[in-house]
Amino acid sequence: MGSSNSSVNNIPNAQELMQETGFSAAHILRLHERFEFLDKHKCGQLRLVDRPTNQPQDFGAVQELALNPIGDSIISAFFSPGQETVDFASFVRILAHFRPTDRNQSRDGAQQEPANSSIRKLKFAFQMYDQDRDGKISRAELLQVLRAMLGIQVTEEQLQSIAERAIQEADLDRDDAISFDEFRKSLEKVDIDHKMSIRFLR
Amino acid sequence: MLSFNGLYRCDCLPDPAGICKSLPERGLLLLMVLVFLEGSVLPLGAASSPDVTHQANSDNHIVKEAGHNFTKKPFPVLSLDYHHIQAPFEISLWVLLASLMKLGFHLIPRLSGIVPESCLLIVVGLLVGGLIKLAGEQVPPVLDSRLFFLCLLPPIILDAGYFLPIRPFMENLGTILMFAVVGTLWNAFFVGGLLYAVCQIQPGNPSILHQLELLPCLLFGSIISAVDPVAVLAVFEEIHINELLHILVFGESLLNDAVTVVLYHLFEEYAGVGSVTVMDVFLGIISFLVVAVGGVLVGAIYGILAAFTSRFTSHTRVIEPLFVFVYSYMAYLSAEMFHLSGIMSLIACGAVMRPYVEANISHKSHTTIKYFLKMWSSVSETLIFIFLGVATVEGPHNWNWTFVTVTVILCLVARVIGVVGLTYVINKFRIVKLTTKDQFIVAYGGLRGAIAFSLGFLLNKDHFPLRDMFLTAIITVIFFTVFVQGMTIKPLVELLAVKKKQEAKRSINEEIHTQFLDHLLTGIEDICGHYGHHHWKDKLNRFNKKYVKKCLIAGERSKEPQLIAFYHKMEMKQAIELVESGGGVKLPSAMPSAVSMQNIQPKKLPPAKPAERALSNLPKGREEEIRKILRSNLQRTRQRLRSYNRHTLLADPYEDGLGDLLIKKQKMIELERKIKDMNNYLTVPAAPPDSPTMCRARLASDPQAYSMKPEPDSVPTIQVDLASPQSPDSVNLMDEFRRAEQQHEEDQGLMMKPPSGESGPKKPGEEDGSREHKLMRCLSDPGPSADEDEDEPFLP
Repeated sequence: MGSSNSSVNNIPNAQELMQETGFSAAHILRLHERFEFLDKHKCGQLRLVDRPTNQPQDFGAVQELALNPIGDSIISAFFSPGQETVDFASFVRILAHFRPTDRNQSRDGAQQEPANSSIRKLKFAFQMYDQDRDGKISRAELLQVLRAMLGIQVTEEQLQSIAERAIQEADLDRDDAISFDEFRKSLEKVDIDHKMSIRFLR
Repeated sequence: MLSFNGLYRCDCLPDPAGICKSLPERGLLLLMVLVFLEGSVLPLGAASSPDVTHQANSDNHIVKEAGHNFTKKPFPVLSLDYHHIQAPFEISLWVLLASLMKLGFHLIPRLSGIVPESCLLIVVGLLVGGLIKLAGEQVPPVLDSRLFFLCLLPPIILDAGYFLPIRPFMENLGTILMFAVVGTLWNAFFVGGLLYAVCQIQPGNPSILHQLELLPCLLFGSIISAVDPVAVLAVFEEIHINELLHILVFGESLLNDAVTVVLYHLFEEYAGVGSVTVMDVFLGIISFLVVAVGGVLVGAIYGILAAFTSRFTSHTRVIEPLFVFVYSYMAYLSAEMFHLSGIMSLIACGAVMRPYVEANISHKSHTTIKYFLKMWSSVSETLIFIFLGVATVEGPHNWNWTFVTVTVILCLVARVIGVVGLTYVINKFRIVKLTTKDQFIVAYGGLRGAIAFSLGFLLNKDHFPLRDMFLTAIITVIFFTVFVQGMTIKPLVELLAVKKKQEAKRSINEEIHTQFLDHLLTGIEDICGHYGHHHWKDKLNRFNKKYVKKCLIAGERSKEPQLIAFYHKMEMKQAIELVESGGGVKLPSAMPSAVSMQNIQPKKLPPAKPAERALSNLPKGREEEIRKILRSNLQRTRQRLRSYNRHTLLADPYEDGLGDLLIKKQKMIELERKIKDMNNYLTVPAAPPDSPTMCRARLASDPQAYSMKPEPDSVPTIQVDLASPQSPDSVNLMDEFRRAEQQHEEDQGLMMKPPSGESGPKKPGEEDGSREHKLMRCLSDPGPSADEDEDEPFLP
């Protein structure tokens, strides 16, 4: 429709974004609306924490995230390490990971792996575990995730034994940490395309 | 006869599969033949016996009345009174026949590989029907609709509903509903309408088809268009297709019941009147909503009642399975009472009650429920197919070439068009699209079955003069789909290389990561402001955790997170497996005889709070320790296995391990003998006789069963059970080996200390620490100190 196209043109770099991430114009528009909703101060960027109070700022507008056990991890995943702000382009790029996979998409070798391919999706999930970005999920990192998910209902001992068992199962090269390949292998039975995709309709 | 042919054939041909027709198997086949004959002969006998019994009765009457002038008859020492027991006897005979048939098929593996069981059973039914007819007897109306709908169908549906994989079902619910509702409607109207058209244009002298009105045609269309869950289950079970396709076809067959019920009643009501107004159509739509939603509600209510009841059954474990069955059956009957969809109610009941009931009931009850459901559904299914065959032989037939062939063709065409068209629409909304292969399997898997026949049978002959023709056509379609489609679907699946079901043994990693991804996706959806699938699922889970679980689950289990429950279940299964595979005297023997592996309540939280559901014989704290030890043992054992293999060099680990294993086994056997001789209550019989079955049942048929993942480079046969009583020597060998490798291993659990002097008899009232300590020591090294243990009670 004509009106939406002109609105899309108002968004900076819309065309490049569309090409890079594969989102359609309608998607970009929708995401832009959402971005502006979250961006309370209208500064074109989303901030991680409010400096004085150290509370999650812009993303705090999404109330459900507070109830989410790994809400904080999700929020920090939007921000590159070290940075405290994220602009619209990065916002869209992160969300591009969750676009449904195009099965019949053929791409030449020169093109970069699309953001929403299975590997990229898994990589994104892996990076959420691997906070220190050393390429491996150590026991401590796994414990941290488990602690976040299971909360106060379990004892430390149980957490330890679960983490222990998980590492034993997945760790094939016996380095007491889970590398990306091992992570991928342990999830080979799960349909990642289906599990890590959401519809950006409406 | 089938069985005899099989006998001869196997005698002549070479025996590739290695089945030898040994004496027992021939005996079994002979038995089946005898049952056949008995079944047909006895009804003949019944014809003559009533006279005898009547005479006897009237004689007795006279005797009682008169009192003084009675003629003395010789006292009947042995008399035949068949009528007395006729009904239950015949029922039992049928059930026995069905079960023997099932046995028989599996003795002929080649046959069961090619032909699906359902086909064979129909053939058997045809044979039996033929036999009975040959014997001149009246074939009993076996597929009587009441019998079918009230007795034969519910077990199958309950089995399906109770074990319904909820997750894929819910994820694909939209697709399933589209197929079930829109697909069935399309099929019904297409078939009915075109059939009417074809009948009208029938050439020739007043063809019998001309008198077929539109509404009866539509009624016939609605009867024939419903995909049948029994047939789908029977065929799909054997082809092991991937979960998505299975749940699509199966879900459709379950949910289209509501549509069928409404259409059937609608057309049946108005077929007499001859016209349907818009108002009726509108009422029909409302009726559909009422039937579907009402059915689900009724089922859900009964499911919640059952879950609530199971909360209080901790003291009467034996009748736990009964509640599951009775509540479900009542849900079905209640739904049928209001002409709601009984099938949907049954599914809803099973699916709703399952998570809560399983959290409440004991392990044995769980196994019982599973086995009873499988048994009943299996017998039901077998009986249904056999009866279908019998009814074919007997059923009033009216063969009309045009009608039948057109019906068959139209059914196929309608199905294909329906599936393709609907998939086109559905794929716009799906994340994972359905490919052409998927569509083909869905279309090809639309089998019709006994439900269609029973519905046709129910038709009133007065309203529908062409009922016999309908029945013939229905039977033909059923035969066609079951035989042709059923037999060819397996090779087609192979040919098309359709994704098969992965033997999923869910690992803890999968569970953790799946939950993590769930949370992640929910968060992303919230950020995008998109209230999608994950959002609602999350909301439901939260509601469930906060309110529902507290009501319906007894005690502490209500607060247990799912991951923990899963973890416990896995650990328990592995412990049982370890015990089973080792054989002989194992961990259980180290515990008081009252506690067998199976009695331990699985999945309990180990915090210090005393267990609320303690076993009757076991003091409360004990269970805790046992479980802790079990868990630590499992960890240690696994570690030991790994460490052992990790550092073995070029020498064949298998050989070394085998040597050790043999020594240990030797010592174990000696010890066992010694203990048996001592004749105290320490001698626990080696794993109770039903445990392998239970174990197999639990592990093999439970889709979530976890069995030990084979270590990548380990040898599968080394099952080192270091917790069993052994002499310290061989154990120390292992221990040193292990200690050399792992310096940093914690000093806990199974430290193989030689029996020290402290292990004298301890008083019962000691605190937990020393009790645990002693227990551990007892577990680790009762070798030579078995003599000591003889005097003291093992555990106070």
